[in-house]
Amino acid sequence: MNQLIQFSSSLQGYLAVGAILFALGIFCVMTRKNAIGILLGIELILNAAGINFVAFSKFRTGLIDGQIVALFIMLIAAAEAAVALAVILRFYRLKQTIDADEASIMRN
Amino acid sequence: MNKVLLLAQILTVASAIVVGFHPNILYASVFLLFTFCGVAVMFLYAGADFLAGAQVIIYVGGVTILILFAIMLTQWLYKIKLADIRNKMVLPGVLATIIGAFLYRALHQMVLSLPPQTPEALEKFSTTPKTALIGQALLGSYLLPFEAITILLLGAMVGAVWLARPE
Amino acid sequence: MVQSAQFAHSLEGWFGFLPLWGWAAISAFIVIYFLALPFGGLATYIERKIAADMQDRIGPNRVGPIGLFQFAADAIKMLSKEDFIPKGGDRFLFNLAPLFVVVGSCTAFAVLPLSKYLIGADVNIGVIFILAVTTLIAPGLLLGSWASENKWSLLGGLRAASQIVSYEIPVALSILPVVLISGSLQIGTIVEQQGWTVFGENPATYHFWNAFHNPFTFFSMFLLFVGGLAETNRIPFDLPEAESELVSGFNTEFSGMRFGLYALGEFCDVFVMSAMVTALFLGGWHIPFLDIEKLGFALPTGLVAFIQFHVFMIKTLLVVFVVMWLRWTLPRLRVDQLMGMCWKGLLPLAFFNVLGTALWMWAFKGQSLMQLLMGHG
Repeated sequence: MNQLIQFSSSLQGYLAVGAILFALGIFCVMTRKNAIGILLGIELILNAAGINFVAFSKFRTGLIDGQIVALFIMLIAAAEAAVALAVILRFYRLKQTIDADEASIMRN
Repeated sequence: MNKVLLLAQILTVASAIVVGFHPNILYASVFLLFTFCGVAVMFLYAGADFLAGAQVIIYVGGVTILILFAIMLTQWLYKIKLADIRNKMVLPGVLATIIGAFLYRALHQMVLSLPPQTPEALEKFSTTPKTALIGQALLGSYLLPFEAITILLLGAMVGAVWLARPE
Repeated sequence: MVQSAQFAHSLEGWFGFLPLWGWAAISAFIVIYFLALPFGGLATYIERKIAADMQDRIGPNRVGPIGLFQFAADAIKMLSKEDFIPKGGDRFLFNLAPLFVVVGSCTAFAVLPLSKYLIGADVNIGVIFILAVTTLIAPGLLLGSWASENKWSLLGGLRAASQIVSYEIPVALSILPVVLISGSLQIGTIVEQQGWTVFGENPATYHFWNAFHNPFTFFSMFLLFVGGLAETNRIPFDLPEAESELVSGFNTEFSGMRFGLYALGEFCDVFVMSAMVTALFLGGWHIPFLDIEKLGFALPTGLVAFIQFHVFMIKTLLVVFVVMWLRWTLPRLRVDQLMGMCWKGLLPLAFFNVLGTALWMWAFKGQSLMQLLMGHG
């Protein structure tokens, strides 16, 4: 138990959580058909990246540059969520579904 | 030795697992909210106080609400089933595990190549307030990316309004 | 002055003899039973009395002297009601949703500056902390309305969420001038700078209440107040609970203590918003034109804290009174008026105030109107 606590507050702990979130995000993006579900996966991936940046910023460089990159990631995630949801609502009006596999007009 | 940090990490991972596997898209997004909160606590312990606040405001107050909004607008008013039909899960699962393990492994190698901080430096880093430093950096060496982000946000806002406009 | 990260670390160092969850439970108990619950309860009583006065009625007067224990009777009534969950509703979310509202509004009490010596945790991101934890209320309303499986509830919840998300922006922007002036997000520091002392040795560091710092902050205070009204879903912005259109809005299906939690959360939120107006613009614990710590003789710290606490509470409750007064005076807005007011009215005004304050700080080297008039600095 003590080892676990030690691990959790070290850089490796942060990296492990980041990697797990990243893998779950990839999994979510690959398996979900619902466009909003895919968006959830993307948010997980972006958060994983933010965790890694912040962790390296504290445990290795000791500078705040990593935190600034994490802040930019957050802002981009917000912009991306707004646009993505607008696209989803638009797509719903077009196709009466938000199944991402149905978005295949460009295929033929 | 942080029990709170460990709890936050367990919360983060557990709720992320629910996000990844729960068939109901609404539950997945509710648990995404818990993931965001857990990540915010992790940020707090990594000495990123301003970032933790921004994380909660942007993700919980903005992104989660938007997602819940979109779910409720498309799936309740128009009677679409909440349960998400999943594609095949085995291959993506294996792939995601491999990618995650590879990522952790690669970052671990990188960790070994960088010099670690002393415990005193770590302590000092976690207790200095970051808001003023971040502000100075954003208007100093990061001015160009900062301006680019503002234009991106403006474009995103205009684009979202234009996309979602009534016919 | 406890930094947030340091605060988080020190929790374990100081209180090692009880497990952390034990301390968390005890402090939650203290906050809820000695701060939030009496305030929430008394606020319902005061609100009903004020409403009665304004409508020329008597109001609650049966339970206890002048009806003072009415809120206790209400609480007992709520506790003894049937714990009802709608049949088609979502059990898990129905149970979870009221907790979001209560957690969101009660956590903010931790950083309220009740007195210089009585701040739960004077974290260095205090203002952002309040903004952050109160955002938890919106998902609570949205999920509760969804879980009710009721058309009116859902419409109310959607209205509430869109309203809160929209008005978050003018609220944050109207706080920005204060942050510009004080150069800090720490609420203790912001309040401390609003003092005024005629005996003090360095008057330049004190600039009187932020509301009177310059004309722009004066308008910012009203923006924060209006935005706060909208964020707490109070009249004239109580569209989410508009009884003429939506039965009772997002809390239609909630009964018993779950409804009580929603009501408690709402009243605590009103208190938090009023305390924010007080702390950021109305000088917090400071008595106008007097610094009780620099009278020329020293008062005991306990007495200072006592006086400051009461000054702060009086100011805050006056703001709360204005909120209640408006409730029985103004009619409700329409949805389009509400959104139009936010995006076309408050938002440009808030930007104008930020710009104006920045120009003022540049032109007068950060001196307040009072300092300029008194010739200090």
